[in-house]
Amino acid sequence: MEAKINAFMDLVKQRNHHEPEFLQAVQEVAETVIPYIVKNDIYHGKNILLRMVEPERLISFRVSWVDDTGEIQVNRGYRVQMNSAIGPYKGGLRFHPTVNASILKFLAFEQVFKNSLTTLPMGGGKGGSDFDPKGKSDNEIMRFCHAFMSELFRHIGHNTDVPAGDIGVGGREIGFMFGMYKKLKNSFTGVLTGKGASWGGSLIRPEATGYGDVYFAENMLQTKGDSFKGKTVVVSGSGNVAQYATEKATQLGAKVVTLSDSSGYILDKDGIDADKLAYVMDLKNVKRGRISEYVNKYPNAVFFGNAF
Amino acid sequence: MQFFLVTLSDSSGYILDKDGIDADKLAYVMDLKNVKRGRISEYVNKYPNAVFFKGEKPWVVACDVALPCATQNELNGEHAKQLVENGCICVAEGANMPSTPEAIYEFQKAQILFAPGKASNAGGVATSGLEMSQNSLRLSWTREEVDEKLKQIMKDIHESCVAYGKNEDGTVDYIKGANIAGFVKVADAMLAQGIV
Repeated sequence: MEAKINAFMDLVKQRNHHEPEFLQAVQEVAETVIPYIVKNDIYHGKNILLRMVEPERLISFRVSWVDDTGEIQVNRGYRVQMNSAIGPYKGGLRFHPTVNASILKFLAFEQVFKNSLTTLPMGGGKGGSDFDPKGKSDNEIMRFCHAFMSELFRHIGHNTDVPAGDIGVGGREIGFMFGMYKKLKNSFTGVLTGKGASWGGSLIRPEATGYGDVYFAENMLQTKGDSFKGKTVVVSGSGNVAQYATEKATQLGAKVVTLSDSSGYILDKDGIDADKLAYVMDLKNVKRGRISEYVNKYPNAVFFGNAF
Repeated sequence: MQFFLVTLSDSSGYILDKDGIDADKLAYVMDLKNVKRGRISEYVNKYPNAVFFKGEKPWVVACDVALPCATQNELNGEHAKQLVENGCICVAEGANMPSTPEAIYEFQKAQILFAPGKASNAGGVATSGLEMSQNSLRLSWTREEVDEKLKQIMKDIHESCVAYGKNEDGTVDYIKGANIAGFVKVADAMLAQGIV
């Protein structure tokens, strides 16, 4: 079995040797799925996994836009359309300086399996840009999102590919991109998800990843006759997922004691209750501040890391 | 043979200076730490060839449940060992691939509950799917309706993982379960559609 997995990975490495995150994601799947394929005749000898690791399409494009000082900026945009066997490509857009083909292929590959697991008819994809939203004005964000969509629009559609948000892409960015798509196509369709509640969005969408994570963990704990009640919980991150995971875990009777961002983490031994979480949501979603500021507001908490 | 001192650290993290921290630089550090009481991270402002590596992550804090919700590879083997030693019984990934392969190895060795992101964070995209359904139907479900559907989907995903991930000893390998359950549906569709 080991030899079969290694032979498969050698092939994948040959073609993608410069993509460590993608190889890491494929390795994990190969180790568990190849033994299953070998035991099940209908999948055996059809190179099915080899077909699944090759994106159906990988689009890379120039995004040029003008910043607030009048300077022309150039970023790289991507959309990886990984697999459409069970539905239109579906997966988020990430705006972060670390975005490259390897990161997006790993995410798109995982997305195929994840979307299949939801039982809903969605294929897998992922996209984004190496654009860094940190420190940009609202106008710069808008100009970038418009420029990004002015190319992406020709590759997506509500029956073809339906992107969503991810790191660096929230309600604000989805709004700007949706506006440009609608203008170019002259058509109001559900081409993006994560839309605002008044223009086609779904209630609970902002909460869903964090809530879902806690629901899943609760299901796991139940297999041991246990639950979140009275548990101490450590959460990393302080964005959308971390915020709503904290909210749901707290509602289920747990005490969440940490949150973090790239500067470090805060430890609040009293627990991050609803009021404190409301402060964090305002700090991160509106003021776009650093998690270290939490300890100024709640001096019983301690910040570990560096605060520049 | 020549030796260089290349790193210094404090609670905020450590700096790496491949050129070596010579007498002049050391004098700066002494002034920074002993007189100005600054952070070691400021070293890189003065010596831009050096790199600052940021400090700590929350995995050293004792807990029952850990929810990594930041980004890929944020939780490594050392962090995982620390979590297990501190009595953590359940890790459910909210981010995508936050645990390194070494971390997963530690969790599985300790036989604690571990859910990979592709199962435990699927609630986001599932609700995107529900948003698509509502767009097609041109109607909006209430908060309670969507939340109830989300809860049911997460329960179904958990059951799929258990069905495909159960080991002979009765324990559940959620990675195996998620990968195989996800694979089967896509592979069946691909086989049905032929070589396209």
